[in-house]
Amino acid sequence: MGPLPRTLELFYDVLSPYSWLGFEVLCRYQNIWNIRLQLRPSLIAGIMKDSGSLSAMRFLTALSLEHPEMLEKVSRELWMRVWSRDEDITEPQSILAAAEKAGMTAEQARGILEKISTPKVKNQLRETTEAACKYGAFGLPITVAHVDGQAHMLFGSDRMELLAYLLGEKWMGPVPPAMNARL
Amino acid sequence: MGPLPRTLELFYDVLSPYSWLGFEVLCRYQNIWNIRLQLRPSLIAGIMKDSGNKPPALLPRKAQYLRGDIKLLRQQFQVPIQFPGDFLSVILEKGSLSAMRFLTALSLEHPEMLEKVSRELWMRVWSRDEDITEPQSILAAAEKAGMTAEQARGILEKISTPKVKNQLRETTEAACKYGAFGLPITVAHVDGQAHMLFGSDRMELLAYLLGEKWMGPVPPAMNARL
Repeated sequence: MGPLPRTLELFYDVLSPYSWLGFEVLCRYQNIWNIRLQLRPSLIAGIMKDSGSLSAMRFLTALSLEHPEMLEKVSRELWMRVWSRDEDITEPQSILAAAEKAGMTAEQARGILEKISTPKVKNQLRETTEAACKYGAFGLPITVAHVDGQAHMLFGSDRMELLAYLLGEKWMGPVPPAMNARL
Repeated sequence: MGPLPRTLELFYDVLSPYSWLGFEVLCRYQNIWNIRLQLRPSLIAGIMKDSGNKPPALLPRKAQYLRGDIKLLRQQFQVPIQFPGDFLSVILEKGSLSAMRFLTALSLEHPEMLEKVSRELWMRVWSRDEDITEPQSILAAAEKAGMTAEQARGILEKISTPKVKNQLRETTEAACKYGAFGLPITVAHVDGQAHMLFGSDRMELLAYLLGEKWMGPVPPAMNARL
């Protein structure tokens, strides 16, 4: 067995366009580099005092607790709505539409939606956002790379080549060839 | 004869650490890519004022981040960049007016010295925590870069002339017209269009725009064009 994968935490908000760019790059590299990518839905409003993606990020938080395997796809569909098709992400039906497009059943999606105002979910989102702040975030996205017992916080979608340098991995640009994927 | 080289304008201020990083990368690639690098000494203070932006270091969390970022980039870019001790004083109180006027005068009289003297000024303020505001500091940098004491003093005498002051103002305004809200900015002229890229972290995107190969911030020298 080879060396242990390095944990990368990606703190993001679907309201943040650079979060989307960083997210897609790391999703591409998660099967190429020896890393374990942990997605951390956060609230950029909590970091910057900005405007609202509250429901969407609570939905993703609830997902991270109940169906973490859906987190990547639903996050992507929320970005596709707000940052590709200029569609709403604040209304319940908007969020459900994204969840279903990602492959959840209407039932599953509604089940998660019902939980977004529970103390458990509200607290988790608050805690994740506070964790980002403790790492020194002043915006999103931030990627926290845990390497040899140290946590390196990198801000933005344009520090991925530096991330590769820190990990001792090969940078092949933002669209790496899929053939390099680990099996 | 091959295709015409693309013109890249680099607007920079020696007060700006990311300007140094962008500068070194472009200097390395100027003999690898089919480009013509034009150095444009500018005043970051003027750009901040004109755009209403503030130095990022004024936000405590950004200042903290900057320190860590510069430490990492020092290794990745292999540039001996280091935070000065009283960094806010250097940036906000001491400034770079004389130094940038000196580089402006150089750009008019001895443009072939611009790269080396710029580098020596950065080495003073952003590597060895030395002054760049006093005349003797600027002369020391010029001489370290290979100018004679006479040549250097000749340029220094011109820094308060209207011609030099106006040129620095015009260059800074040109950066503002390209949309600058900070430095460095790289303006790439490609197929009749001018693309303004902000920061030292858009070089891979620049390569993409130029149709050139990105080999990281420290490209192998063997790829140099003869």
